[in-house]
Amino acid sequence: MEASEAIIQVKQLKKRYDGFYAVNGVSFEVQRGEIFGLLGPNGAGKTTTIEMLVGLRKPDEGTALVAGYDVLKETEHIKKAIGIQLQSTSLFDLLKVKETLEMYASFYPSHVPIQPLMEEMLLTEKQNSLVKELSGGQKQRLAIALAMVHDPEVIFLDEPTTGLDPQARRTLWEIVLNLKNKGKTVLLSTHYMDEAYVLSDRIGIMDRGKLIALDSPKNLIQSINAESAVEFKTTQTYTEHTFEGLRGVKKVVINQQFVTLYTNQLQETLIDFLQFTSDQSISFSALQTRTATLEDVFLHMTGRGLREE
Amino acid sequence: MKAYYQLTLAQLRLFLRNRQALFWIMLFPFFFMFIFGLLFENDRPVTYTMSIVDLDQRSISKQITQTFQQQDYFQISYDRQVETANEKLKNGKVDLVVVFPKNFSQQVQQKQLPASIDLYYNNKNAAQTRTALTIIEGNIDAVSKNMTQYQPVIKTETKEISGLRLTYLDFLVPGIIAMQIMSNNMNGVAGQIASWRERGVLRRMQGTTLKASNFIASQITARLVLNGVQALLLLLIGYFLFDVSINGSIVYVILFIILGTLTFMSIGFIIASLAKTPESAGPIAGFLSFPLMFLGGVFFPISNMPTYLQPIVQALPISHLSTAFREIMNVGTPLTELLPEVGWLCAWLVAGFVIATRLFKWE
Repeated sequence: MEASEAIIQVKQLKKRYDGFYAVNGVSFEVQRGEIFGLLGPNGAGKTTTIEMLVGLRKPDEGTALVAGYDVLKETEHIKKAIGIQLQSTSLFDLLKVKETLEMYASFYPSHVPIQPLMEEMLLTEKQNSLVKELSGGQKQRLAIALAMVHDPEVIFLDEPTTGLDPQARRTLWEIVLNLKNKGKTVLLSTHYMDEAYVLSDRIGIMDRGKLIALDSPKNLIQSINAESAVEFKTTQTYTEHTFEGLRGVKKVVINQQFVTLYTNQLQETLIDFLQFTSDQSISFSALQTRTATLEDVFLHMTGRGLREE
Repeated sequence: MKAYYQLTLAQLRLFLRNRQALFWIMLFPFFFMFIFGLLFENDRPVTYTMSIVDLDQRSISKQITQTFQQQDYFQISYDRQVETANEKLKNGKVDLVVVFPKNFSQQVQQKQLPASIDLYYNNKNAAQTRTALTIIEGNIDAVSKNMTQYQPVIKTETKEISGLRLTYLDFLVPGIIAMQIMSNNMNGVAGQIASWRERGVLRRMQGTTLKASNFIASQITARLVLNGVQALLLLLIGYFLFDVSINGSIVYVILFIILGTLTFMSIGFIIASLAKTPESAGPIAGFLSFPLMFLGGVFFPISNMPTYLQPIVQALPISHLSTAFREIMNVGTPLTELLPEVGWLCAWLVAGFVIATRLFKWE
C-alpha cells in the first residue's frame, strides 16, 4: 500500500430500511493519516454509513474498502484493522475501567499496554471506578480507549461528543487531534459544525442519505462565496425574491420566518436592508450578523439548518 | 482462550457486584424452604382424620380405640374392611388408617409377642402425618406399658402405602434445586442477553474480533459456577437445618447440576433470540417457567398429574431434572438407573444448542 493512498474507499454505498434509503449512493475516500468528518443533521445517514464501513451492517448496494479489505467479504480482517466507538456506547456498568479495557484487549490477538493507554485517555485516576460511576466525558474517553486498545490503523468515532458539556468536548477534541498526531486515520461523524471545523482535515456533508459536499472546512465555507451572514426573523412569510435585490446580497435562504442573507459587503447590505424594510414596512426582530460558518454551507445547500427536525 | 477467561471473569464480577440480584437469587430458594419447613415441620395442634378397622372387636382393641377417642387430635370414623379404609386414605378422605388384626387381643393376652397394630398413612402427606404417628405411638406405648407394668408388649408397625419414607422437605429440596437451575438459567440468560442486545453491549463486542463461541462458552462457565455454589448452599442448609436426607453420591448431584444448567441455558439463549425486546424476554421466560414449575415435579409428585398430561410432563426437561435429584438424594439411586433422565436431558441439551446457535444474533 502506498503512503498517500486512500485507506477508506467508498463507492455508491446504499442501505435501505423499510422502503426508504437511509444511505443513498454515498462515495468518498479517506486518506491515510487524515481526520475525515461526516457532518450532517440527525437522520442524515452518518451512523448507517459508519456501521456499514465497520462491518456491522451489510450494504444493499455499492462497495467499500477499509484498510484494503472489502466490507462485504472481509469483515474479520477489517475488525482487526479498525477501532470503533459507537454512538450508543454501552458497556457493563458494574465492571471497572481497567477491567473493561483488559476484557476488550483480550478480544484481539494483540493489544497495547493498558496503563499508558489509560494515561493517554486521562483515565488513570478512574481506573478502579465502575463504569456506571463515570461522567459522560469519561465514558466517551473510555470508549475511545477501547477503540485504541489493539492499536488499529483506522478509528471510527460516531458522534463522540454528543451530550457532553463544553469542557468535556474540548478535552475530547484534544484526544482526537492527538490520535492524528500518532499517525492514525480518524473518521468521525458529528452534527456540531464547530467540531467538524476544528477537527477535520476534510468534511463530507451528508443530508438525507446523500453526500452533498466534500472538501476542506475552509474551501467549503469559501464555496458559498460570502463572508458574512445577516439573520433576522420576520412576522410574515416572504419569498427569497423579496430580498434578492438588496445591495451585496449573494444568496437568500428563507426557512419559514427565519431569513438569512449572505453577502461580501456587510455594511452596504445592512444599510440597504434597514432602508428597504422601513420603506416596505417589513417588521423584523432578532437581527444579527456573523461570519459564515459550516452551518451556512449546509443552510446554503439544503435550505435547512443542521439541528432542525 | 484469553477472551474466554476474561469474559468469564467479567460475568462472575457482574454477578457478585449486582448485590441486589445476587441477594434475591440466593434468598429465593431459602425463602421457599423456610416457609415449607415451618409449615410442615412444626408441631402445631392439628386434627387428623383417622379410620379404625377393628377386625378384633375385643377388649384391648376397644381400650386402645377409647384412648384415641379421648385425644383432641383425631376425628375417628370406622370401617369394616381394610380395603375400604385404604381407598379413603388414597383419596385423601382420611389421613390415617389403624387396623387391629383378628385375634389381636388374644395375641396380647397370650403374650405372643409382639402383637402388632397396622398403621397406614399416605406418603404424599408424610410430613403432615408424621406428628400423628408420633402421637399414636405414644398412646400405644402408654397402653402397652400400663398392661405389662412397663414391659412393652405391643408395638406399632408403620406401613406406607407406597414407596419410601419421605418427609415433604426431602421431597421438596431436590425440586427446589431443579427449579432454581431452571429459573436462573432460562430466565436469567433470556433476560440478560436480550437486555445486552437492546443496549448495544453485544453490538460493541461484535465490532471486535471476538468469536460468538467464546462469548457463549464464558456465559456457560460463569453460570455453572454460580449454580454450583447456589445448589451446594441449598444442599448444606437443607441437610444441616432441615434434616434433608442425601443418600446418593454428591458427584451425581453435581453431574445433574451441570446437565440442567446447560439444558436450560440453551433454552434461555433461544428465548433471548426470539424475543424482540428485553421487556418481552422476561415474560416469555416467565410464561414458560411457571407451568414447568408446577408440572415438572418441583412441588408435587409427577405421578399426581392427570393421566392425559403425563406424556407432556414426561417430556419436560424439568421433570427429569427434579426426578434425578430426588432419586439421587432421597433414594441413592445409582447413575445406571438414571440413564433415561440423562438421555432426556442430553436430548434437550443438544437440540437446544443446535437451535440456539442457529438463532443467536449479536443485535
